[in-house]
Amino acid sequence: MSRLAIPLERDCLDNGLKIVLSPDHTVPIVAVNIWYGVGSRNELPGHTGFAHLFEHMMFQGSEHVPKNKHFELIERVGGTLNATTWFDRTNYFETVPSRDLELALWLESDRMGWMLPAMNQEKLDNQREVVKNEKRQRYDNQPYGDWDQRLQALIYPKEHPYHHPVIGSVEDLDAATLEDVAKFFSTYYVPNNAVLTIAGDFEESQVKDLIQRYFGEIQAGEQIPALPGDPHLDPVIGDTVREHVLAEVPLTRVIMGFRIPPYSSEDFAVAEVSRALLGMGRASRLYRTLVRERRVAKGVVTYAFPLLTGASMLLAWVTGYPDSTPEQLETALTEEIEALVEVKQSEVDRAIALTETDLVRALEHVGERANLLSMFDLYFDDPDRLNYEIDRLRAVTLDQIRDFVVSRLGPNNRAVLVYEPKRTA
Amino acid sequence: MSSLDRTQTPASGDIRNFDFPEVQAAVLSNGLDLRICVLPRLPIVSINLFLRAGEGGLIDERAGTAVLTGDILEGGTLKRSGSLLAEALERIGARLGVSTGWEGTSVSVSVLADRLPETFSLLAEVVLEPEFPVAEVDRARDQQLADIQQRGMDPSALASDEVSRRFYANGLPYARPLVGTQSSIDSVTRDHIRGYAEACYRPAFGGLIVAGDVDPEQIVSLSDKYFGSWSGSPSVMDTFSVEPETRERRIWILDRPGSVQSEIRVGHVGVERTTPDYLPLSIANLLLGGTFTSRLNLNLREKHGFTYGVRSRFGFRSQPGPFFVSTAVGNDVTADAIREILYELDSLVLGGPTGEEVEAACDYAAGVFGLHLETAGQIASRLNQIVIYGLSHDYYHRYRDDIRSVSPEDVAAVAQKHIRPNEAQIIIVGDAGSIVSSVDALALGPLEVI
Repeated sequence: MSRLAIPLERDCLDNGLKIVLSPDHTVPIVAVNIWYGVGSRNELPGHTGFAHLFEHMMFQGSEHVPKNKHFELIERVGGTLNATTWFDRTNYFETVPSRDLELALWLESDRMGWMLPAMNQEKLDNQREVVKNEKRQRYDNQPYGDWDQRLQALIYPKEHPYHHPVIGSVEDLDAATLEDVAKFFSTYYVPNNAVLTIAGDFEESQVKDLIQRYFGEIQAGEQIPALPGDPHLDPVIGDTVREHVLAEVPLTRVIMGFRIPPYSSEDFAVAEVSRALLGMGRASRLYRTLVRERRVAKGVVTYAFPLLTGASMLLAWVTGYPDSTPEQLETALTEEIEALVEVKQSEVDRAIALTETDLVRALEHVGERANLLSMFDLYFDDPDRLNYEIDRLRAVTLDQIRDFVVSRLGPNNRAVLVYEPKRTA
Repeated sequence: MSSLDRTQTPASGDIRNFDFPEVQAAVLSNGLDLRICVLPRLPIVSINLFLRAGEGGLIDERAGTAVLTGDILEGGTLKRSGSLLAEALERIGARLGVSTGWEGTSVSVSVLADRLPETFSLLAEVVLEPEFPVAEVDRARDQQLADIQQRGMDPSALASDEVSRRFYANGLPYARPLVGTQSSIDSVTRDHIRGYAEACYRPAFGGLIVAGDVDPEQIVSLSDKYFGSWSGSPSVMDTFSVEPETRERRIWILDRPGSVQSEIRVGHVGVERTTPDYLPLSIANLLLGGTFTSRLNLNLREKHGFTYGVRSRFGFRSQPGPFFVSTAVGNDVTADAIREILYELDSLVLGGPTGEEVEAACDYAAGVFGLHLETAGQIASRLNQIVIYGLSHDYYHRYRDDIRSVSPEDVAAVAQKHIRPNEAQIIIVGDAGSIVSSVDALALGPLEVI
């Protein structure tokens, strides 16, 4: 049985904006969180990276809010704020002292409804440079920094919306225009493509009026266009595909990726539990055997991407020691993944106990609470899923895991990306 | 409903009381400082055992030993192997972490409240009965050596290490990386590790902090049961005093050929955590480079587009930690960025802050303080600060009033005293070939490519 009972209420404005409200008066702070149903998967060819660049432009002011004022006003009251762009969505969020809820609603509604009048070429050029520096700092100037781009290209075919990285290419960023900003805004930044969640300390008797007041007059947009490219995929890659990269990296790293059912599938829970068995915590299989007992790997990382379109991906990477060879690492990783067919219930129980601790810790933050509620509402039309998320994982059976390992984690569905240090003579 | 005037910024509502939660403090007979904070919001508990076993107490030859010993704590106890220990903890959903800094080692656990007694028992077993098996010592040492190798190719880590080396006089603990060096780690043996834990994992001058959905009486009794018979004082404490390597402004370019960005650090030795200037200096730092709308970020990012972000910070430690500005910028604007950083440092020191800036920064600090008291872990880490630096019991209860009383004159005075652009070490990790001539043309001081 789930022990979670996060209260929530749902609503929807006439313009299609979906609302989730989750009160908690223990700490006098409140989180405002908006998820827009647009991400890098919506980008047209020649416009990679635009969803993220657009996210930056959302902080450049709106009709009634001058440039930098958004940050200034939120910081002034002691709030925190940010935004992120990913494959399927873009989110914007602030946490403020509860007496400043209205300020956050004003700022978020102004850029949802009145962003375009504040746009100009100077702001676009400025943020284009900021984003190019972000790309240099986080990807280009980092050892292994281009791994996600390479792995995506191995797992998804060219015409699939996940083939290209969220950060995009410099050429495409350079080509972005103010017209693109206007078109993207009117297509995707519409109330009928968004979820607004408010979590924390707010007046339950007044909050709906406040939301109506700030967001009610924003016009609904058209229906959201179909995804570009071809989102349909075979459930498996069909082969072992590989790329070997000789690069300026300190240690050999083998990254393995697999196509797995999309986040929207019932079977995604099986992938999540399987990934936890492999890599969550120090009693997990990869840590215990590869890092602690056999000492072939310095470290392991695993992740099941929660992606919606066609197929998601599961990744497992191992970083070796200075004398490791790619073959050793790949063989060891493959063996451990395939050995997961001999899974035991006690392992599943352990993984779920850790997941539960992590979820409760995340929910201590009203910001994280709001973020998860927005996600579950936008993706599944079911914010209450937060309260039974653990039960969903607990229901996964050993047979399902065995089937998953055989059907999804074998050689017919494996992408292998190897980074090997360039040895100089 | 009347139509909304969107040109009006909504005013704040009535202030709601927001006090730091009540803390029960006691000192066990062995000197362990026990602090309990009841937070009944969610069924979660955060435990933090602070041991005064930090890197600041070690000589250069043993650098990294405290970090390494902390890392190997999860490698097993007299009762069970590392794998079985991990299993025992994770079976009950306990997240154990060990982090080691200059002042000490924190062993922390997060767990659901109904698992508290088992968790206390396991925490005591980990700290009081460590085994340090040979294989685990070898593993942790190899990992740490590989980490050091990784740092050698990571531009940001390289810049941090260069900050330590160029700011502090050779031989001081702060002059080296926290994790130690290749040679110091190479020479660590299992006996060193066991000896270090035996000598330094002692209750006196340490703290046990428990925050979350707990019954204080149960915590007192669990603490007595599991930690009451533990005794002694750490044998090594840090007693050094800090000297800068130089007071002359210099430029150091660490050549990383092919870099598409320059990692920049500009600063010098700062000030210790217990300085009476702490609050006004925190405000000075916020408006200089501690927020998005700080002078540095508005200039380098929002005006010039040189960078994804720029920050300044004072590393407050028991002895004066480093003060520095950090950013990463394109090769072609490296010299411009350094010029603007120094311009902002000079402006603040010479011109002082405006009253409006100080008011905004004080409001930010007072408001955001409350945002960071949401979780058991956040509360526990604040209480840990009280223990580590010997802050007054009511330090955080008074914090918001104290920070709001900082004046523009206070900020101007401490900025002048503790920010010294003419003594700054300017460190650049990047492609020397494409940046050296433009940086040298700034004529800021002697330049060396390393």
